[in-house]
Amino acid sequence: MTNAPAPARVRGGALLSPLALPWAVARLGFRRQFAYPQAALWGLITNTFFGVLRVAVLLALFGTRPQVAGYTAQDAITYTGLTQAFIMALSLFGWTDFMRTVHRGEVAADLLRPLNLLGFWAAQDAGRAAGQFVLRGLPMLLLFEALWGMVWPDGALGWLQTTLSVLLAWACGFLFRFLVNCAAFWSPDAAGFGRFGWAVLGLGCGFLMPLAFFPDWVQAWLSWTPFPAMLNTVVEVWVGVQRGAAAWEALGVQAAWALGMLAVTAFTLHRGLRRLEVAGG
Amino acid sequence: MARALRSAAHYLQLYGRLLGAQVRSQATYRGALVLDALGTLLITAAEFGALALVLPRFGGLGGWTLGEVCLLYGLAELSFVLMDLLFGGFDAPNLSAHVRAGTFSTFLLRPVPLVVQVFGSDFALRRVARIGLAAAIFAYGVTHTAHAWTLGDAALLAGCVLGLICFFGGLFVVGGTLTFWTVDSVEAMNVLTYGGRTLISYPMGIYGEWLRKTFTYLIPAAFLSYFPVLHLLGRPLPDGLPPAAAFLSPLVGPAVLALAFAFWRVGLRRYQGTGT
Repeated sequence: MTNAPAPARVRGGALLSPLALPWAVARLGFRRQFAYPQAALWGLITNTFFGVLRVAVLLALFGTRPQVAGYTAQDAITYTGLTQAFIMALSLFGWTDFMRTVHRGEVAADLLRPLNLLGFWAAQDAGRAAGQFVLRGLPMLLLFEALWGMVWPDGALGWLQTTLSVLLAWACGFLFRFLVNCAAFWSPDAAGFGRFGWAVLGLGCGFLMPLAFFPDWVQAWLSWTPFPAMLNTVVEVWVGVQRGAAAWEALGVQAAWALGMLAVTAFTLHRGLRRLEVAGG
Repeated sequence: MARALRSAAHYLQLYGRLLGAQVRSQATYRGALVLDALGTLLITAAEFGALALVLPRFGGLGGWTLGEVCLLYGLAELSFVLMDLLFGGFDAPNLSAHVRAGTFSTFLLRPVPLVVQVFGSDFALRRVARIGLAAAIFAYGVTHTAHAWTLGDAALLAGCVLGLICFFGGLFVVGGTLTFWTVDSVEAMNVLTYGGRTLISYPMGIYGEWLRKTFTYLIPAAFLSYFPVLHLLGRPLPDGLPPAAAFLSPLVGPAVLALAFAFWRVGLRRYQGTGT
């Protein structure tokens, strides 16, 4: 029922392009992020403090070594800056917005929209992510550049590959978060699923440590999961641990995971909606 | 004296009842609780696991072995979890939610001391699972350091746990009090509380000079576990401090808590509610 969106008609029935509605939803999602600038500022201060601590730990680990697992100490600082910058944009600490609409029954109203439910949430989250990146991500990157100096993508090709990698990381991450939120269809208290999911995400995506530093068996295990595609690939492409053809290959893996996750998440949502019972009132 | 004891026993009983009610309600959906506890556990396990997995590749953290780091990390984590069970009600997100919703004002109307109600307002059963993990990390630290443990050392470490519980509790009380002024900037308190916990989990020698000095002389965090552990490992204290500075944990912690409660009373006098 939600898989065939009706064409959006406004103003005397003029047919809008199929992207007009998602675009409007995304723009609203973007603008909403700027409602509480003071909270964003405090968030930035918190992220900076933790960034300082994480840089100290990584530099202490490096000691006098010039390079470990393809990373220089400067790369490690850049890694920390990137992970701190993307916390909010990629919702690395979790996201329960969709879960809440299911628990409260608001999802019923969302189903009335002339837009596929997954597409509606994807558009909204894309706008939210872009807003958070501008508001929290960019200042964090500039701050890291000012405090320690960062490594930046190498040339036009590096920037292109990095940008694509960020977009794919958002897609994989969003689909994973949405999938976890779908647990709300089966459980009246899905917060536990969430906590579980976010903990796995934090370790698996390379938020806590660059995955290249882990023992080989852990890396081998993680390569069978979509988690590295949600952040670690971005870091490796950005700092140039993966460059040129190897970077294209890494992007291909990210794209494959995005498609796979899309299939699984769409299927799960479809099954979940068939179970949905909304209490009246 | 007898009267004071009787009223203390009465308040303790009230506190017990408040906790009991929360435990019963949280245990209703048993499956959800178990998953929630596992998830909470996994967050810490992942954070510590990432460090433990990476350390062998580098050989150490600023000259500290994994066992030695575990001693610090385990002390901080164990104390923080115990404190979180006790002082959860003062945590800024919890308290600011009460302030915003206006339920904090109803606390003031009830014929039960406010502090007892706040202490009993957020007991999260799921956190209990973390105690086991924290104890395991700490135990690994104790068994994997080249040190002949004595009864005196055990007393010193017990003093550290006590001091740290008071210290972290004090940070929670300060963070909670600040919500009387700024309802929306809860995230700022996280620097203080969760930031303090993270900072204290690693050997402070790895931080820059100004950061280490700030958290020694301005916020006395270094006295609570870093100095005692340095002493146990037979390392000199920084800045030429006398060895006696390693034994101040049971004094510094309660002092911070007392100051925090003094600040709490100031904030309370200023509290006017949000009009909800």
